Amino acid sequence: MKNNRIGLILVVSSLAVITLVVSLLLERQHTEQAEQVRAQGLGTVRSLAVLPASVLLPPPGQPGVLASLLAGRDNPDFAYAAISGEDGRNLAEVASPGAIVPPAAPLALASFDERSVAAGQNTRAIREFRGPLASPDARLQLRIGYFEPQGFLDLKDLPFYALIALAVFLLVPLIYIVIKREMAPLAALGEQLKTLGAAQAQAPTQELDANQDVRGLAGKLNRYLDHTSARIRELEQDSIASMASGRLLEYGSNKMQAVLQCLPDGLLVLDPAGEVTFATGKIEPLLGVPVAEVLSQPVEAWCRDPELRAMLARFRGAGLDARSQMTIEFNPLGVPGKRLWATAQALTGHAMAYGTLVVLRDATREHLARQAGNDFVAHVAHELKSPLNVIGMYGEMLADVGIDDPAVRVEAINVIQDEVERMTSLVNNLLNVSKLEMGSMRPERHRVKLDDLLRDAWQQARSRADAKNIRLDLQVARDLAAVSVDKDMFRIALNNLLNNAIKYNAAGGNVTLSAEEGDSDVVIAVRDSGIGMTPEDRERVTEKFFRVRETGEEQRGGHGLGLYLSNQIVELHHGRLTIESELGHGSVFSIHLKKMPALAEGSQVL
Amino acid sequence: MKKSILLVDDEPHVIRVLRLMLEREGYEVSSANDGNEALEKMAARRPDVMVSDIQMAGMDGRELCRTARARYPDERFPIFVMTSMTASQEREWVRELANVEFLEKPLSPRQLIARLTTYFTNAATQENPHA
Repeated sequence: MKNNRIGLILVVSSLAVITLVVSLLLERQHTEQAEQVRAQGLGTVRSLAVLPASVLLPPPGQPGVLASLLAGRDNPDFAYAAISGEDGRNLAEVASPGAIVPPAAPLALASFDERSVAAGQNTRAIREFRGPLASPDARLQLRIGYFEPQGFLDLKDLPFYALIALAVFLLVPLIYIVIKREMAPLAALGEQLKTLGAAQAQAPTQELDANQDVRGLAGKLNRYLDHTSARIRELEQDSIASMASGRLLEYGSNKMQAVLQCLPDGLLVLDPAGEVTFATGKIEPLLGVPVAEVLSQPVEAWCRDPELRAMLARFRGAGLDARSQMTIEFNPLGVPGKRLWATAQALTGHAMAYGTLVVLRDATREHLARQAGNDFVAHVAHELKSPLNVIGMYGEMLADVGIDDPAVRVEAINVIQDEVERMTSLVNNLLNVSKLEMGSMRPERHRVKLDDLLRDAWQQARSRADAKNIRLDLQVARDLAAVSVDKDMFRIALNNLLNNAIKYNAAGGNVTLSAEEGDSDVVIAVRDSGIGMTPEDRERVTEKFFRVRETGEEQRGGHGLGLYLSNQIVELHHGRLTIESELGHGSVFSIHLKKMPALAEGSQVL
Repeated sequence: MKKSILLVDDEPHVIRVLRLMLEREGYEVSSANDGNEALEKMAARRPDVMVSDIQMAGMDGRELCRTARARYPDERFPIFVMTSMTASQEREWVRELANVEFLEKPLSPRQLIARLTTYFTNAATQENPHA
């Protein structure tokens, strides 16, 4: 609070007190005057009342007592004098200028009294004194009116205000002291605020004397608020920044989760105590255990596979050896027919052991491939061993018996030749299959005259057909359209088809090699009168190593590669191999090839 | 009296060679294409020795041996099984059965003849030690 303001209040208060004193003096003077008027009025009324009515009511035209009263008035406030009858009518009256005699009020008592007549529109307020006249016959009253003194309209309220002013005058210093006392902690707070504010602005405050002041406090508060709001803004910015980085982290985390969930491998993270802290959804199809059953559970609670349990037990509470890694392969009990690789790796870093990462990978396909590889080796070994066995036995027989028996000699030599041929064909087909599967067999396609190609194949197969007493026919037109094929590869395909047709045939049967030209393609057909196939076998006959289960007497010595190769080769030429067959009624293998467009200039025909 | 040999193999060449060689050695040879046919032949007449392949379509050699031993518990004729598989599990089941011996593949007919000669000589000696 400022001193000058208190001073102003004190000055105003003292002025009010002075006003009070003056007004009290005036009041006192006014009261004295009123007493004087009253004494005069009542005195006059009393003294006139004893006079006879005749004196007071002179005959018309003659001046009476009342007129002389007016003339000899010594009081400037004298308003009027009147004698009124009982009916209120004025019998005689005199009035000073500007005064109007008000109507008489009935006199209740036969005594002297006074009344106030309120100011009218043009008249002043009047104090009237009255008394009865000593008239025996008529009840007359004498009235004398005086103007009420003017100029003290607020006189009644003034002392009240003056008293308040006095109270303020007395209370202000008291309040000031009290406020000052009460303000002491606030001032201290102000100091603190100033210090806080000054923490930012080094310049010391210049308002040293304002420290005590509320304005100073407000100023400091303002500065503090400025400082605080700046700080809040900083914090808000920090918060926005941290929120943004939080979002980024969350986004990153979600992304990582999505990445991990999308991995084809199942992931498990175990804490050092062996409880699962993270698991991807791939766990379920791999282990047959839902993720919900795995999370936050020790391994024993969900893992039924002894191999996996044993491995994870080894990693429980493992040390900081980041190199410790272990892989097992097992068949999960929860998913029959599956083969899994499980790799456990200690999770370490920053000199901390976070637990164990377990990667589960579906190895079923690899397992089957390995098995197929093993089967393949076993199969090939068996296929090679059988002819070797036969060759060995015939060799011994040739040595022991053949010397003296020419028939045995011929038979042995024939069988040995056949078996050698069979082995050669197997080895060749194996090589071709291997080339085909390695992708190194690329057809070098040339424009080829189909009838020559078919005639060659027919010629080659004839000796084998003759040996089995099978008729081999060729039905090919000379002017057959040219096709674009790799000659060597295509010969392999044709030979395999013809060999099969001869092999799976009965003595006296026949095989026909034919070719027909359609609108856009050429169909090469190998028709036999052989044993035929069931529809199930027909579906699978082009699978690798598939062999029709033989029930008859004869052993035909196929190795399950011929048709597989033929089919692959035809497909490499963008053709189709179709098979019609009926068990016991022979088969027709047809190769559908696209015809070559009209011969382009400069193309070579092989 | 000629000793009878039952040959069981699904490879006709093997039957052909062995039959020729054994007949030359004076054995009476019968043959079967698979286990079922062998059991039929056996029902007609028990052989003195059975020589069988293991891998055969239809009833294989293993089942044939078990069935033969179960069906004729009193017969003690030896069975020679021809196998190229020398894995331990093959040895395993052979051990369960009495008088079953291995013949390694590729089979040498001379070796088979030698084994048969040894067997019949020993058998003759045991039956008639003073001969």
